[in-house]
Amino acid sequence: MTEPLLEGRQLRKAFGGLVAVDEVSLQIAPGSAHSIIGPNGAGKTTLFNLLSGRYRPTSGTVWFKGRNITKLPVYQRAHIGMGRSFQITNLFPQLTVLENVRLAVQAKGNDSFRLLRRVDTFTAPIEKALEVLELVGLRESAALPASVLPHGGKRKLELAILLAGDPEILLLDEPTAGMASEQVPELMATIDRVRRDGGQTIVLVEHNMNVVMSISDRITVMHLGRLLAEGTPTEIAGNTLVQDVYLGQLYDLSAGETPQS
Amino acid sequence: MNSLKSFLKRDGWMLFIFIGLLAFPFIVATLTGSSPTGVPRGDRMIMRGESVRWQAVLIEVFILSLLAMSYNLLFGFTGVVSFGHALFFGLSGYIFGILLEYTALDTGLATGLGIVLGIAASGLLGLGIGLATLRLKGVYFAIFTLALAEMAYIFFSRLQLTKAEDGFAIGELPVWLDPTQSRLTFYYITLAVFVVGFLLLRRLMASPTGAVFKAIRENEDRAQSIGFNTLRFKLLSLVIAGMMAGAAGILQVMLNKKVGPEMLGLTYTIDPLLMTIIGGTGTLLGPVIGAAGLHLLDVGLRDQVIALGGASIRIADVWGLILGAIFILVVMVFPYGIVGTYQRWRLKRQHRGDPASAATSRAARRQSG
Ligand SMILES: Nc1ncnc2c1ncn2[C@@H]1O[C@H](COP(=O)(O)OP(=O)(O)O)[C@@H](O)[C@H]1O
Ligand SMILES: [Mg+2]
Repeated sequence: MTEPLLEGRQLRKAFGGLVAVDEVSLQIAPGSAHSIIGPNGAGKTTLFNLLSGRYRPTSGTVWFKGRNITKLPVYQRAHIGMGRSFQITNLFPQLTVLENVRLAVQAKGNDSFRLLRRVDTFTAPIEKALEVLELVGLRESAALPASVLPHGGKRKLELAILLAGDPEILLLDEPTAGMASEQVPELMATIDRVRRDGGQTIVLVEHNMNVVMSISDRITVMHLGRLLAEGTPTEIAGNTLVQDVYLGQLYDLSAGETPQS
Repeated sequence: MNSLKSFLKRDGWMLFIFIGLLAFPFIVATLTGSSPTGVPRGDRMIMRGESVRWQAVLIEVFILSLLAMSYNLLFGFTGVVSFGHALFFGLSGYIFGILLEYTALDTGLATGLGIVLGIAASGLLGLGIGLATLRLKGVYFAIFTLALAEMAYIFFSRLQLTKAEDGFAIGELPVWLDPTQSRLTFYYITLAVFVVGFLLLRRLMASPTGAVFKAIRENEDRAQSIGFNTLRFKLLSLVIAGMMAGAAGILQVMLNKKVGPEMLGLTYTIDPLLMTIIGGTGTLLGPVIGAAGLHLLDVGLRDQVIALGGASIRIADVWGLILGAIFILVVMVFPYGIVGTYQRWRLKRQHRGDPASAATSRAARRQSG
């Protein structure tokens, strides 16, 4: 196998007595779409927080392009090509939709310490931000404060902020969480399109099994903080352990339905 | 010509007020038949008459506005809560005063050096406090700054060298600057510092750096996640705010020709905070309106006496109480401060104009409701 783009080695995170992530090792191949599935509380978000640097692991290491980044601050990870979105919407609520995205573009440039030049004279970041808004279908709402967007719009904006940073690897934590089901395919199609155009690597946490099965090259199953299984979508769908412990109870794979919760 | 037109449309009223402030000493002089420069006696000037009296009031408004604006940069624009703003104000005041009174330097040189060193020390103090404590979250940072300011207050209240609680008077300032001699000049100097401070702050908040400040206020976690080293920006904000407050402190010392520990006291932390909230947190004009409003009220009411039953109460003695009442009232009527509430109201009215945005603001109301 080629060198993984992103790798977690024996990652462990304990909150007091609760071990949310327990000795998880994970390799993400460059250019792949890698999904992480598992019931609520399995530790998926915590794993993302370890990979993205929001939490320090209790033990274990994180590697990006062969470099140990375990101690690299969150903001520096954006500059080496990592980006993430959040399961719980995490925006700049009182700033406009455009400004939310423009900031993500600005963050990657060198103009953030230009104290006395007006922001609107830097046209490239604004244009870039508008392009990304177009891509996710939020261009019309560019001038609104982010806080007034409906939930679906906020999820789109969450994705737009991530895309605006041009990451090589996108860590997507339930990008469609709470969205009306008819909006889900559209958003996932956008993600898929971005990936095909730009060749980015994707790590996806998602509950919609249709989406997971169709988009993923590889799937990792987590349960109670541990890795339960890993393989191609076909392998996972045929894995009896996974069927028993997780998928079997929650999903009817043959029908490809998502659970009603 | 078009740009001039749009400038006048956008900022014309500010220009109008600025011209009004330029003319103010002469307007008062004409209206009251007093001299804008005071009354000459021998080769000195006596500051007597309505014009110079009102100049002093406005000078105080400019100084308090600077202080409130600098507080707002931290609190309103960057989201950093400090309870030690008096530290910058007082420290630069002491540095300036000490250079003038306790060194053998020539007055002009001491003044220049005092301004530079006072402002630089305030900036460095901001940097030091920030490096030591900005990693602390919200309330812990606020408490640390409060403790630091109180320690400085106690230190200078006990320091015999600077006359402890009494503080010390500044004997001599360059005559052209001295508010007891050339108040009109000093009026224009503070007006200039205030206007330049305001314009610089406005430009800063329209710059990419200001955009990051607001992003930190809105959501520091996400700001980091998209790649901003937020600590550096918070430090920068603290340094700029510190320098601005330091400049205000120096002007205050020049005006009163006195330095004392009261400049480090809680008043000069709480007042800019109240002025900012009353005027509108995170708005450019709010702190100015808050400072002007509160100070003019203070001056207008200070010497009034109200008879209550048998007792008569001097307003000055219960000013804190009145301030609290004003604060509660304003915050109830204007939940986002005067300017902030006005801006929201105007935005809503604009949206009512065209149907598309009316729909979104309806959606907005549904969302927030
Ligand atoms: N910051 C935290 N403090 C304490 N417990 C946490 C924290 N974050 C997550 N947990 C716990 O860790 C476990 C895994 O949570 P999470 O990673 O959010 O799971 P998932 O994303 O798979 O639903 C849960 O039991 C959760 O309550
Ligand atoms: Mg989760």
